[in-house]
Amino acid sequence: MHITQGTFSFLPALSDEQITAQAKYCLEKGWSLNIEFTDDPHPRNTYWEMWGTPMFDLKDPAGLMYELAECRKVHAGRAYIRVSAFDATPGWESLRLSFITDRPAEEPGFMLERQERGGRMIAYTTRAYAADRPAGARY
Amino acid sequence: MDANPDTKIDLDAAYLRSGVAEILDELDRELVGLRPVKLRIREIAARLLIDRLRREFGAGGQAPTLHMSFTGNPGTGKTTVALRMADILHRLGYIRTNQLVSVTRDDLVGQYIGHTAPKTKEILKKAMGGVLFIDEAYYLYRPENERDYGQESIEILLQVMEQRRDDLVVILAGYADRMDRFFTANPGFRSRVAHHIDFPDYGDEELFAIAEKMLASQHDRFDDGAAAAFRDYIAARRRQPHFANARSIRNALDRARLRQAVRLFEGRGRPMPVSDLITLVADDILRSRVFDHARAEEQP
Amino acid sequence: MDNVTATARKSRYDAGVMKYKEMGYFDLDYQPKETDILALFRITPQDGVDPEEAAAAVAGESSTATWTVVWTDRLTACEKYRAKCYRVDPVPGQEGQYFAAIAYDLDLFEPGSIVNLSASIIGNVFGFKPLKALRLEDMRLPVAYVKTFDGPATGIVVERERLDKFGRPLLGATVKPKLGLSGRNYGRVVYEALKGGLDFTKDDENINSQPFMHWRDRFLYCMEAVNRAQAMTGEVKGSYLNVSAATMEDMYERAEFAKELGSAIVMIDLVIGYTAIQSMAKWARRNDMILHLHRAGHSTYTRQKSHGVSFRVIAKWMRLAGVDHIHAGTVVGKLEGDPFTTRGYYDVCREMYNPMRLEHGIFFDQDWAGLRRMMPVASGGIHAGQMHQLLDLLGEDCVLQFGGGTIGHPMGIAAGATANRVALEAMVLARNEGRDILAEGPAILHAAARRCTPLAQALEVWKDVTFNYSSTDTPDFVPTLTPA
Repeated sequence: MHITQGTFSFLPALSDEQITAQAKYCLEKGWSLNIEFTDDPHPRNTYWEMWGTPMFDLKDPAGLMYELAECRKVHAGRAYIRVSAFDATPGWESLRLSFITDRPAEEPGFMLERQERGGRMIAYTTRAYAADRPAGARY
Repeated sequence: MDANPDTKIDLDAAYLRSGVAEILDELDRELVGLRPVKLRIREIAARLLIDRLRREFGAGGQAPTLHMSFTGNPGTGKTTVALRMADILHRLGYIRTNQLVSVTRDDLVGQYIGHTAPKTKEILKKAMGGVLFIDEAYYLYRPENERDYGQESIEILLQVMEQRRDDLVVILAGYADRMDRFFTANPGFRSRVAHHIDFPDYGDEELFAIAEKMLASQHDRFDDGAAAAFRDYIAARRRQPHFANARSIRNALDRARLRQAVRLFEGRGRPMPVSDLITLVADDILRSRVFDHARAEEQP
Repeated sequence: MDNVTATARKSRYDAGVMKYKEMGYFDLDYQPKETDILALFRITPQDGVDPEEAAAAVAGESSTATWTVVWTDRLTACEKYRAKCYRVDPVPGQEGQYFAAIAYDLDLFEPGSIVNLSASIIGNVFGFKPLKALRLEDMRLPVAYVKTFDGPATGIVVERERLDKFGRPLLGATVKPKLGLSGRNYGRVVYEALKGGLDFTKDDENINSQPFMHWRDRFLYCMEAVNRAQAMTGEVKGSYLNVSAATMEDMYERAEFAKELGSAIVMIDLVIGYTAIQSMAKWARRNDMILHLHRAGHSTYTRQKSHGVSFRVIAKWMRLAGVDHIHAGTVVGKLEGDPFTTRGYYDVCREMYNPMRLEHGIFFDQDWAGLRRMMPVASGGIHAGQMHQLLDLLGEDCVLQFGGGTIGHPMGIAAGATANRVALEAMVLARNEGRDILAEGPAILHAAARRCTPLAQALEVWKDVTFNYSSTDTPDFVPTLTPA
């Protein structure tokens, strides 16, 4: 299983050089960069843990790569890590790019639970197998 | 690429192409005095240019250490030269963005536990790609207080200066004697700093030339009396406390302009030539308290 | 001066017929107010009809006038209610055609009603005999009027946040064949396409509730497919469930059912009418549902340049009405679409302010007053081999719908979906890296195809498919260099 959240999940894992190039693009657009990580890959888990606060006013991708290296020291192989770019201009005020840079060594995937209801209706629940274990001990 | 020892290199062309010449010329033109500093900058620029060529032709090793220390009294041009240094490093391709982030201890060191690391890192990240200028860097180190947060900042700085040499050039600046003590107490810094530049105090004539440059940039001028008075002023001011070279000159001129304005205002009611508006006269200088002090010193 | 006016007035209301130009519907000195609604018409007068009189007639017939003088005008503030043609210009290069700009006072219109707006502006006047043809090219909707509409409930930004998908076009596919699949087979196509990498699948405009598949069946199977695909990929997925139906009651019933099943999005057709569209937009806003609009039927009146309503006007009305998605053309696909004209539509959908840009068919500055951006949808005859052109022409804030280009893949639907997704991500990555994707596009696709067999197959199968026909709806102005 390979979760396909984020902008570049259908491509081979990005190298540091490729991540740097994407970060450079974002900085040139005036967006601020942010690193997040999680061990709960549910598609509607919006709030991944923030690795520090968003990096406003960076001039060069080196700042992001420095923090990414620090974050990897703690979480690589045991969590998903993503880099996001935030655009504060009016009418956007939202993310403009968000891609996964690191994944746990193994991704067990999701169980789809079905609860039968009347009229052939089914209530669906998506549950990550990893979420059977407590947060912090999942991967 | 292997170096072919017979390949001919056009050093002149490389120098012109880099655009460094313009900056060095500008430095010569715009900054009064500072001969030894200018010499050192030329040396460093030459060394970096050669280094880059060596690597282009496959004869270089890893990127050189570029961290520097600028020592000298206040007002001797350290910040100005640091800005030019950023220009040079940028033109030679040693930094990616032509920016200089100038900070002091307060920008790096936090107020409470857990505050310093994120604060220092935020500054480092903002400066990455360019130059970080730490003024009065020795304030980071306060041995008298063993729980001072400055130590935490120093450790992060040292780590980044060593491991992220491609991403950041650090210039440490301050008084020569205190910087020496700082380096002695923190040998990690000394070993990571490749270039030491000492900024001498300006001579009286140099300070006068600086004053004239400052005036010209505002389209102001001294009349003959004022020029003579200002030479006396420089000699007197230097003997007094908190003398800060060019910075003291700038402050003195600002105050002289204020006195000129008051003088012109009080003389209103009769026609005045335009030239009066841009001319400082002896009285504008002589009414400075610096002369009171000087006279007081002479009397006893 | 007072005397002259008095005399003019007296004769103005004498019973009988007089020229529209003289009835107060034509005033070249009129300065449009900031609150006026402005319309630009292309008029083709009958032979022998004075263009200015024809333009005045359009202003008159689309506001207060009738064919003869009526004294009851004098019971109203008739000066204010008369639309005023304030400009007439010949259309460059089109003999016998004229652009007429007309200003309407805001009080002529009911707040928040597309039906009222359209009934006034295009209600009667398009059949007016002295004109051979008439086309509504563009409108300027004043901020005061824009603010009486809710606009899109999600639009581009909130939709992306709900789906957690940023920085690239969304990918969709219309289930094919358009007609005849049973609910069970239909759901299979949805599952394969979503599992393979698409974000959305879509009902076609005429999939409603036919003998071969009733709507409840379709919804149930589609949602099974959506949920399965979501669990297989860990990614939010959706399928536009078409709720278009004969009556509002039917549409509400279908929409409610879609919501109960947990769908993120429902779909309607333009042919349901403006009132139904606004009702569904309000329903979608109340129910946290993305609303997709298929522009079914629009080409009957948008395509020909001489007569009808430009699609840019329809797009403006739909942004006011509050749909979140709108089909806006592909340029390179199988359906009508000049690149510059299409660019104008996309700007109308996506920008917060449209400056006048004649070369894109935009005749007025338009301030959207904070109304959300609509997500344009590109659909019809596009495939992975055009990814560089699509990204370059349409940008990243759109939905690219590859129906045939997914389902027609030789190795199956999921392979087709994967091919499209890999092509898209590779192209976005390359563009962000600063590469010239128009020039290097094919090379970038082939490089990506070396690691992705389905993409290699797609590029091979559709390598020669293009639709190079000339467009009918092209801009009348081309950018020219003017001496400074």
